[in-house]
Amino acid sequence: MPDPARLLRALIHPLRPRREASPTTDFLPGSESQGHVLWRLLSHSPQALFGVAVLALVAGTALTAGWWYPDDPLAMVAPPLLWPGEDPAFPLGSDSLGRDVAAGLVHGAKVSLTVGLVAAILSLGIGLTVGGLGGFFGGALDDALVRVTELFQTVPSFLFVIVLVAIGKPSVTVIVTAIGLASWPVIARLVRAEFRSLRETEFVLAARSLGYGPARLILREILPNALPPVIVTTSVLVATAILIESALSFLGMGDPNMVSWGSMIGDGRDQLRTAWFLTALPGGAILLTVLALNLVGDALNDRFNPRLRGLR
Amino acid sequence: MPHLARLGGVLRRTAWQAVPTVIGIVVLNFCLLQLLPGDAADVIAAESGSATVEGMAALRAHFGLDLPALNQLLGYLNALAHLDLGVSPRHNLPVTSLIASRLGATLLLMGTALGLALLAGILFGAVMAVTVGRWPDRILSVAALLFYSTPSFWLGLMAIVLFAVKLGWLPTGGNATIDSGLAGWAWAADRARHLALPALAMAGFFVAIFSRLTRAAMLEVRGQDFVRTAEAKGLGPFAVTVRHVLRNALIPVTTVAGMQVGTLLGGSVVIEVVFSWPGLGRLALESVLSRDYHVLLGILFLSSLLVIAANLLVDLLHAWLDPRIQVR
Amino acid sequence: MWHDLKRHFAGPLIAAAVVGLGAAGAHAAPRQGGTLTWIVTPEPASLIPLTNTAGGNAEIGPKVVEGLLTYDTDLNPKPLLATAWEVAKDGLQYRFSLRPGVKWHDGKDFTSADVAFSILTLKQSHPRGRSTFANVVEVRTPDPLTAVIVLSKPAPYLLTALAGAESPIVPKHLYEGTHVAANPRNSAPVGTGPFVFKEFVKGSHVVLERNPDYWDKGKPHLDKVIVRFIPDAVARAAALESGTAQLGGQAIPLSDVKRFSELPDLRVDSVNWAYVSNHQQLIFNLDTPILQNKAVRKAISQAIDVNALNKVVWYGYGTVSPAAIGKANTKYHNAGIQYFPVDTKQAEAALDAAGLKRGADGTRFKLRLLFNPFQERRAADFVRQSLARIGVDAVIESYDFATYTTKAYTERAFDITLEALANVFDPTVGVQRVFWSKNFKIGLPFSNAAHYANPEVDRLLEAASVEVDEAKRKALFLEFQQIVHDDVPSVEFGANPSITIRSKAVQNYAPTGEGLRGSFADLSLEP
Repeated sequence: MPDPARLLRALIHPLRPRREASPTTDFLPGSESQGHVLWRLLSHSPQALFGVAVLALVAGTALTAGWWYPDDPLAMVAPPLLWPGEDPAFPLGSDSLGRDVAAGLVHGAKVSLTVGLVAAILSLGIGLTVGGLGGFFGGALDDALVRVTELFQTVPSFLFVIVLVAIGKPSVTVIVTAIGLASWPVIARLVRAEFRSLRETEFVLAARSLGYGPARLILREILPNALPPVIVTTSVLVATAILIESALSFLGMGDPNMVSWGSMIGDGRDQLRTAWFLTALPGGAILLTVLALNLVGDALNDRFNPRLRGLR
Repeated sequence: MPHLARLGGVLRRTAWQAVPTVIGIVVLNFCLLQLLPGDAADVIAAESGSATVEGMAALRAHFGLDLPALNQLLGYLNALAHLDLGVSPRHNLPVTSLIASRLGATLLLMGTALGLALLAGILFGAVMAVTVGRWPDRILSVAALLFYSTPSFWLGLMAIVLFAVKLGWLPTGGNATIDSGLAGWAWAADRARHLALPALAMAGFFVAIFSRLTRAAMLEVRGQDFVRTAEAKGLGPFAVTVRHVLRNALIPVTTVAGMQVGTLLGGSVVIEVVFSWPGLGRLALESVLSRDYHVLLGILFLSSLLVIAANLLVDLLHAWLDPRIQVR
Repeated sequence: MWHDLKRHFAGPLIAAAVVGLGAAGAHAAPRQGGTLTWIVTPEPASLIPLTNTAGGNAEIGPKVVEGLLTYDTDLNPKPLLATAWEVAKDGLQYRFSLRPGVKWHDGKDFTSADVAFSILTLKQSHPRGRSTFANVVEVRTPDPLTAVIVLSKPAPYLLTALAGAESPIVPKHLYEGTHVAANPRNSAPVGTGPFVFKEFVKGSHVVLERNPDYWDKGKPHLDKVIVRFIPDAVARAAALESGTAQLGGQAIPLSDVKRFSELPDLRVDSVNWAYVSNHQQLIFNLDTPILQNKAVRKAISQAIDVNALNKVVWYGYGTVSPAAIGKANTKYHNAGIQYFPVDTKQAEAALDAAGLKRGADGTRFKLRLLFNPFQERRAADFVRQSLARIGVDAVIESYDFATYTTKAYTERAFDITLEALANVFDPTVGVQRVFWSKNFKIGLPFSNAAHYANPEVDRLLEAASVEVDEAKRKALFLEFQQIVHDDVPSVEFGANPSITIRSKAVQNYAPTGEGLRGSFADLSLEP
């Protein structure tokens, strides 16, 4: 039987190898050479450079959205269905209700990124707790938590999200919660596997022999060393959450009071044939962002994979 | 016959282990569905555009919605123990026959999409691994990621516009020409034409996952001893790649493929809506919206069985790929 | 998806005149033969409108099962299963002479017993039948070809309620003694109509075949009708554009209508079927303290430019009606009613005067804005933005059918809702329910959502519901519309678009006032 921990790492990020001892030389928050390594990595990988550039642009846009377009992006300010370039005041055109597409894209960046990040953080929180506790303590607790994780994993996650959104209502909060609740099992399994292999390592055993309690062992010794693959996985979760939100909007379950890229696609889908830019522009924004997140994830992953370092 | 006996034992054990999971799923889903506002009678009234108080009461009685929730749950579990998934009052049909009529279409779509994705993914992944760090690797990985990053409904709608409306090569949707009276090869060709677009649109997302897995697994296996031995024995690089590296790399790929069955079923919701494919995903979505609980519970129950079965299949496949692996 | 599951049960009167639906004109005999592929949205759970009218069953059903009567575009009755009828002076007896020689698709004879059974079943089980046939005491069957409906009180709308789409006549021998709602024949119907049911594959299609023994000799002209269910609007448009389907009502996105009207092989008809009579409206929740002030409601109504809504949300294909009885109903619509002038300054002044001044953030108060999934969500967006201009923050809450009806009618957790309460074939059936104080019923969808109560309105509605004299009835309804307009419990939008797309080969698909809910007996495919 293949090592499940390795498989899981491979599932999330295929390039991650089995962890070899000496965790302290690995990525640790605040380690000195980090910046240099990152730069070396970026300068050697055009994909990663592209990814970081796109993400920086999107995040910058999201943060300054209110400065570019201080008014409500849902306001009907233009004649309906202006094409991009038709009116210089609305460079990217307007939708069927006369809302400025450029304003929507800029504000949508904020909502879409928030949806992705918060949903990922939520599933990270649940996944770390469930996987960490199970992996560290083992025994009956672990068995029970594994069962719960399996249970959530057999339910088709998108269907699960749909049911949760129908129970609540289509608002950004509910959507984010639903996505977070549906996508934590991957993290839990990954974290559990990491914890199980780390708790037997020499430095953890050493710390244990010094009489440290479980809280300190988990938070100070194991967690920092288990984090890198988890962080990489999180970049994929952010991307997936953005895609799920857009699919929800496509099915008419988006938040009607907020502009997200997903909701713009949902609103524009009826005009797919007559005003394709209404779906193509936010669709392109999603595509670029998701692509960038994956490229950066790949690059981070390569950074942790010593065997491949020489190849690049 | 020891093989068969062992297989039988494995199946029995898997079945027993699955029981608590399945019961957990039924109870969890049942509770979730109870939280949904409104009920099937509300939906029928809403869709009818009119209602009377007596009519609503009659509907609720007919749907069994006037019973306490716990009674409904116990009744459902009891029926389930007798392999009875209940009746859909909305469709006025037993849930098993409703699901059975849709299952084939969904399995065909999922199977084809998974097969295509595996085929393309392994091929791309192998090429990427062989050319690691060079341009083919980079281009293929970005190309695969592009498909992964495109919302599948958008890809699907665009494909319909291009291939069905503009070029007229393929049908716009459905799973067969209705009432065509076709038989034999013509029938199969008709099915294949309807299958092409949805299967491709669905496979696109998974090609990225499988190709990246294959690439990683191959790179990892490549450094291991038995491969070096094979090379030392004088086997050519192609033979080494296919016979040893790829074969071992298939293990993680198939594991993940088994784990993706649930995702695939969820993803089929959107694809089936876009391509009017008469499958389970759409039925599931419709039953959420129409609060047709028995149908939804039945589908979720079935999907958990599917996931369990898929994982069992993967275990058996592993035993075949690598004889050192014992079937659990 | 919610968007798509919506069912438009009516159509506006853009061109009340028959727009190329009919008349294959001076042509010789209609061409025999051919298969029609017709898109129906959304997919119904059953195929005849007997115990529910959910989904497209009111459109599919009448091809297989028929009603006693059919109607012209002004809703005047025409013979179908009944060849002649007679109403007693006091309005308490309706005598129908039935068409002789009609057979059910399974070969049995159609008789007055079937009519009696069906009417009483409808009274028991149909979502509107309970109120439509509430006054029915009994149905007498003096002989196999005569049925007499006996009422306890007059029901002037009864004669309009007998179309196949509203009151289908079903075979007694297949329904008697069964649980009507659970009868498998609801999904595999046996009727007297021009087409015989062949198969229903859920999620995909229905196949109907020509009835060779149809009582109207020489009809129907088609060999076969294939009904297809396509959940996505863009995919429906693709099917029509590529010629896979030849007919579809409410099938394509409104934004595509203009493009379709320029395609050489397709025809676009925008017709308000009088029998369906769509109507949409904004309803105020009068239990919300702020909205109990009529001046506030009037101010809000002055911020909403319904003509602009028609242009933007409905792409100009709707038929705006300021009166509660829409223009499709040529008999009772009050054409004298006008909207309060759209004037945000006046509205803001009125709100200021009501003590609802703008706060520091520029808003006066917050409202919960719900919308029936039958409505375009864009209508909610439009209303939200219109109210934002006068400093009212309307937060949209978007729900599916089940949650919507629960929120609006059970929990009453809304301040404004955009409803889609069709006028249906008669105001007593379709309009009275919205404004009659005795129809304020918690938990009952499509009752009096506003909680509007005006004794004068109650009196007018109750009088009209039993008034046999046509002129007097009309006067009652005209006055009712005026009072409701002045009280502003609602803002009437009018009829939302009803667009039918057809291949140019499709002729005579809707010769009656029922539109696509007719029987297709006259439909032919001309080269």
